[in-house]
Amino acid sequence: MHLARLRLQGFRNLADVRLELPPEGIALVGPNAQGKTNLLEAIHYLELFRSFRGVRDAELVRFGEAFFRVEGVVRGATGGGEERTLAAAWQREGARKRVTLDGVEPERLADAVGHLGAVLFTPADLALVNDGPHERRRFLDIVLSLNEPGYLGALQRYRRVLGQRNAALREGGAAAIAAWDEPLVREGARVFASRRAWIAGVGEAFASLHAEISGGEPAELVYLPALPTDARPDDAETFDESLRSALRSSVDQERRMQTTVVGPHRDEFRMRVPNGGRLRDVRSYGSGGQRRSVALALRLLEARTLEEQRGRAPILLMDDVFAELDEARSERVLELLERTAVGQVILTAPRASDIRLRGDRLPRWSIRDGVIQMGEWGP
Amino acid sequence: MSAIDEVTRELARLPGVGPRTATRLVYHLLRGSTADARRLARAIELLVERVHPCARCGAFTEEELCAVCRDPERDRSLICVVESAFDVRSIEGTREFRGLYHVLGGHLSPLDGIGPEELSIGPLLERVQGGAGRVAEVILATNPSVEGEATAVYLEGTLRPMGVRVTRLARGVPVGSDLEYVDGSTLAEALAGRRDM
Repeated sequence: MHLARLRLQGFRNLADVRLELPPEGIALVGPNAQGKTNLLEAIHYLELFRSFRGVRDAELVRFGEAFFRVEGVVRGATGGGEERTLAAAWQREGARKRVTLDGVEPERLADAVGHLGAVLFTPADLALVNDGPHERRRFLDIVLSLNEPGYLGALQRYRRVLGQRNAALREGGAAAIAAWDEPLVREGARVFASRRAWIAGVGEAFASLHAEISGGEPAELVYLPALPTDARPDDAETFDESLRSALRSSVDQERRMQTTVVGPHRDEFRMRVPNGGRLRDVRSYGSGGQRRSVALALRLLEARTLEEQRGRAPILLMDDVFAELDEARSERVLELLERTAVGQVILTAPRASDIRLRGDRLPRWSIRDGVIQMGEWGP
Repeated sequence: MSAIDEVTRELARLPGVGPRTATRLVYHLLRGSTADARRLARAIELLVERVHPCARCGAFTEEELCAVCRDPERDRSLICVVESAFDVRSIEGTREFRGLYHVLGGHLSPLDGIGPEELSIGPLLERVQGGAGRVAEVILATNPSVEGEATAVYLEGTLRPMGVRVTRLARGVPVGSDLEYVDGSTLAEALAGRRDM
């Protein structure tokens, strides 16, 4: 399936854009600060209905405008030629957001996410490697929310229990705190289990993707659930009992710190690459090139998960991803994409020479000051 | 503020009534007969004058004790604990339960400053303890939300040492629904709580 049409109004510097996009995608060329990333941000907005840059909706509205609107028509969502229209609008007055699927407002926003089926690659993905565990948990939560039925619900209930339990830790007596243990265990074990299953399931794919990008380097993904080391369950065990006993043994620490110290809200996963003859955490020991390879491999994993879950190739949105890679890595990534990315690719680059994907099969479009046109910009 | 605005604002505070519906109701009242509107006003006045919580269980009544607590035919060894008086009405509607009720007046929610002391838990314990062993079973029928669960867990921990049987409403697949439309966690609960046939 692919994004066949896109209409943008008042979205950042994209005042009024109407595009008919070919099924194979486009390569969008233009100098910096012309709106390339804004276009990808707008497209990706139709996947999660919030900005991938983590900004509030108010900041997406073009200066001086009252609202923004993004509308995309996806073709072949079910394999055939059917079309589906995804739309989102946000207006300053009352800070109101309206999301529709084929013109109908879904009961919950959660029912609307994930219908585009896109994966975004950006230079900012390095934060997945370099930043703290929060970034990696966010990555896991998005991948699992979009691909595993029931995960988002469990995560939301877990967060609610956690908030209540932490409030009880600040004020309540022992029994009033303990009342939240079982609800926390029930939802927490579910979140733990989903994360472990996904990481275990994609381990080999991660290693092979990373090997292809890096030219043969091994790599591994390691899940570190936020439980005491000796309380982490084996593959066959469930997390219920582990979390329950971890809660019991951390009672004193919790009362002192007035917060819940074990559970999936403190999870971490690490990516290990070779350093000094053995595999070490890339966040502490990785070179610049290794970090970029790992970040790319994680996004490719996300794409692969999406493809396996939905049985169709995701739309790849690639924001200037080759600029930061060295020559050899770029070549290998391009080769990998040529071979495996069968869906639509929308990529951006500052110069036409940066784009070598699919030879010249990908139509070159250009952008200048928020205006997009087919072909290169005239003199 | 005009009378129209005032009534509109009051109506809009009711559950399920937005500003538009409230306005429509107000104009409907003004268009209709004055007697109808007065009767409604009087009925609401009577409602708040006469109705109060039952001194024993907390359900609504116009007497000292509610109809259920007064009924000699009800099984006094059984107490069903619910969050609100509205839940009593729902369970009574099934005509399946022959015991007594206890209304907590909400659920535990530390984020909103609601701890055990803010709920009618003390009176429940008195009923169980003071019942001289007559209460054999307490059914915890709090909502299946995370707050309702925590409230049930808390009550279970408090009641169990008193030697009373404590049970919880079963969770599972809604009657008359299709399995394919049941969400994953409900289905998982239903599987875990399956019964022999």
